[in-house]
Amino acid sequence: MECWTHVYGWDKEGRRLEGMSFLLTREGRIIWTRRIKGFWEEFRRKKIGLAGLFIVLVFVFMAIFAPWLTPYDPLASERVADGFAVPQWMMIFPQYADLATTRATSIYWEVEEGSKFIKEWGQNILVNFEAETTDTVTAAFTFEYAYSQKVPPDAFYCEFEWKGEEVENSRYLLKLYIVNPVGNSTLLWILPGSWRDTNGGEAVHVDSTNWELLKRLGLQLGVDNLGREVFAVGEGNYNFILEILFKPQAIGAKCEIHFKDTTFVTLGHVHGILGCDNAGADIWAQLVYGARVSLMIGIMAAAIATFLGITVGITSGFLGGVVDETLMRIVDILLCLPLLPLLLALVALFGKSVFYIVLFVAIFGWQGLSRVIRSSVLSLRESTFIECAKAAGASRFYIMVKHLLPNVLPIAFASLVLSVPAAILFEATLSFLGFGDPRSPTWGKMLHHAFGFGGFSHLAWWWILPPGFAITFLCIAFVFMGSAVDEVVNPRLRRRR
Amino acid sequence: MREYLIKRLIVSIFIIWVIASLNFVIFQIVSPIKPEYTLLDPNFTPAVRRALAELYGLNEPLHIRYILYLRNMFTWKFGRSFETMRPVAEEMAWRLPNTVMLLGSALICTILVGIPLGILAASRRGTKIDVATIGAGLFTWGVPTFFIQLLFLLFFAYYVTQFLGFTLLPSRGIYSIPPPTEPLALIADIIWHLTLPLITLVVASFGSWALYTRNIMLDAITQDYITTARAKGLSERTVLYRHAFRSILPPIATMIAMAVPGIVTGAMITEYLFTLPGIGQWYLTALMQSNYPVVQAVLFMYAVLMIIGNLIADLAYGVLDPRIRVGQRR
Repeated sequence: MECWTHVYGWDKEGRRLEGMSFLLTREGRIIWTRRIKGFWEEFRRKKIGLAGLFIVLVFVFMAIFAPWLTPYDPLASERVADGFAVPQWMMIFPQYADLATTRATSIYWEVEEGSKFIKEWGQNILVNFEAETTDTVTAAFTFEYAYSQKVPPDAFYCEFEWKGEEVENSRYLLKLYIVNPVGNSTLLWILPGSWRDTNGGEAVHVDSTNWELLKRLGLQLGVDNLGREVFAVGEGNYNFILEILFKPQAIGAKCEIHFKDTTFVTLGHVHGILGCDNAGADIWAQLVYGARVSLMIGIMAAAIATFLGITVGITSGFLGGVVDETLMRIVDILLCLPLLPLLLALVALFGKSVFYIVLFVAIFGWQGLSRVIRSSVLSLRESTFIECAKAAGASRFYIMVKHLLPNVLPIAFASLVLSVPAAILFEATLSFLGFGDPRSPTWGKMLHHAFGFGGFSHLAWWWILPPGFAITFLCIAFVFMGSAVDEVVNPRLRRRR
Repeated sequence: MREYLIKRLIVSIFIIWVIASLNFVIFQIVSPIKPEYTLLDPNFTPAVRRALAELYGLNEPLHIRYILYLRNMFTWKFGRSFETMRPVAEEMAWRLPNTVMLLGSALICTILVGIPLGILAASRRGTKIDVATIGAGLFTWGVPTFFIQLLFLLFFAYYVTQFLGFTLLPSRGIYSIPPPTEPLALIADIIWHLTLPLITLVVASFGSWALYTRNIMLDAITQDYITTARAKGLSERTVLYRHAFRSILPPIATMIAMAVPGIVTGAMITEYLFTLPGIGQWYLTALMQSNYPVVQAVLFMYAVLMIIGNLIADLAYGVLDPRIRVGQRR
């Protein structure tokens, strides 16, 4: 493997080629392929490196196939279950076995009265009133809902869309009730502002935790729980009643009412693989998509930092003199800066976005590498092939790119792998302290929210442990991989037995 | 030696000046958020706005502001906080002891645990203790400190409290509210509140100390003079502590000197997590409120401490290791 540090070969005519130009010939490619194979042969003997590679690949798989691994969008924070819902598989333990799960039901209305005006029923209702007298007419629909869980849900919501059209000389009113098996009825929704005499319509979301609804029912937010009140009886048949009232002002008054796509969802206390956060959003989705951001930030920041380190190291080492002195003093100053506080300040000033986080982490991450490369270039500079290139009239830029660069690449590669975890950790720390990108789902942000929104007081370990362990495993995997790569490409650094 | 010292001092002061200037450039020139937007509320009357602008010197031209700023920084006054309108130095003065108390004791505990463990691991090479030490070192390398602290917080503050039914270790604050009036009770209360953060800090960092000590100690005890000492019939204890340990003192002193600035800078996450009123938490709050005088002051203080730490580390090395007489030609 020592050949790694000297990149050269011969072309067909027997001329010696060095550096990157050698790569352009067929033989060069073959030899490079062989070298990469050789690298792999040696790398795969390191168990620790393989373990690291395996873990990294698992996370890469998670990042690439995120949309297939979860149906939810991590940023939309859809309410898929009750807040702090425990993971579904916890139901195998007896103390969680009875918890309610999330159930969604589409409501198919059946006609109860006023059938003369009812044109359509089922999922979509269409009522066409036409007044023959000035009496108030009611069209009523029912739906029998079988609630099959022993425990009442803590929350539920109901969604539908209504529309009132072609209203002439009349007023209408819509009411939605739920009646439990004992016979107590609760008015879930009433047309806002009571009777209406104009066209209108909207999509409605009736939420059992809505304070206006609770206030109308005489309940207190945070004290009474509508879900438990309504479903106090538990298992049984519940009835939904929809009343459409029509009050004509004159004979011949008309009104057309649509009522569409009613769904009723009871939010459970268990959900999915990793349960829910405080707002009832899926945690598994956040975890899976978090892998994308972490890997992307880690690898991009490490790549930029490595590029900067190589550039500064080669320039400084090869040119020497004033350039060297200046660059190394800059490195000294950068090494004196308190990194985390400064990163926080810069991100807070310039904007909390992935772009700036990558940029700043990269800008402050190349100093160590540049020193190592500089010292390596200092010794390479004196070697024969550089002297030859100089004598042959190669420009300084040519020597740096074609001769020095290929020789320091192995060091840079090892450093690249080893600086990924540092970048990931910085991003996680920034996000955890609340300075992360609000528009990207990251593990640090999950921990930030868990810490800020009661994940601890609810003992929601499913919210705290997964992102923490994900960061830990990914970082350790890169450290393992990096030290294995380092041992392969820098044989001098091999550990003493 | 003296020549070297003077040279190093001049370079250090130069670097401090560069950092102070960068601090000024970043916050007053490059920054997209100007103090005019955050400090001078448009709802204030013009008279109040003028008075405020004068108090903070916002009306002065840039170069005067720069000189005023430099004077503030180097006289350790730091100007006034945007938020409380009080001198930053005054605000820093009561927060600093909290931070130093927590992190100073954490550093001492870490050293007291880490270094003996490293020596033990090196002297029992290949045993379970050695493997455990290496494991602990790698663990602290890969696991984010804040996650270790979160875990401790979750289990020792929340789970244990729920399990026992009373608070074994508090999860927030530096003393109970209201604080006890008796001085002894107050001290006990503060110690009780600092226990958990202290333990987490030690757990999060003793591994790297132990690993570092182990590695340099291994280097030392494989040297010939140690074999000689053993051959003389000295006890293993004497060999380890009188001969081997003495030779690793310089790098350890360096490491301690480099860690001392961390007493002030390293507290941000811990103070945020455990809601301790220290410098780190103050800095985070100031950042969120765009309270730049505070941010500048803390950043400047951090940088100065790090530079002084580096300087002391370099000098300590020369003093402790007679082989290295810096500045003297060999």
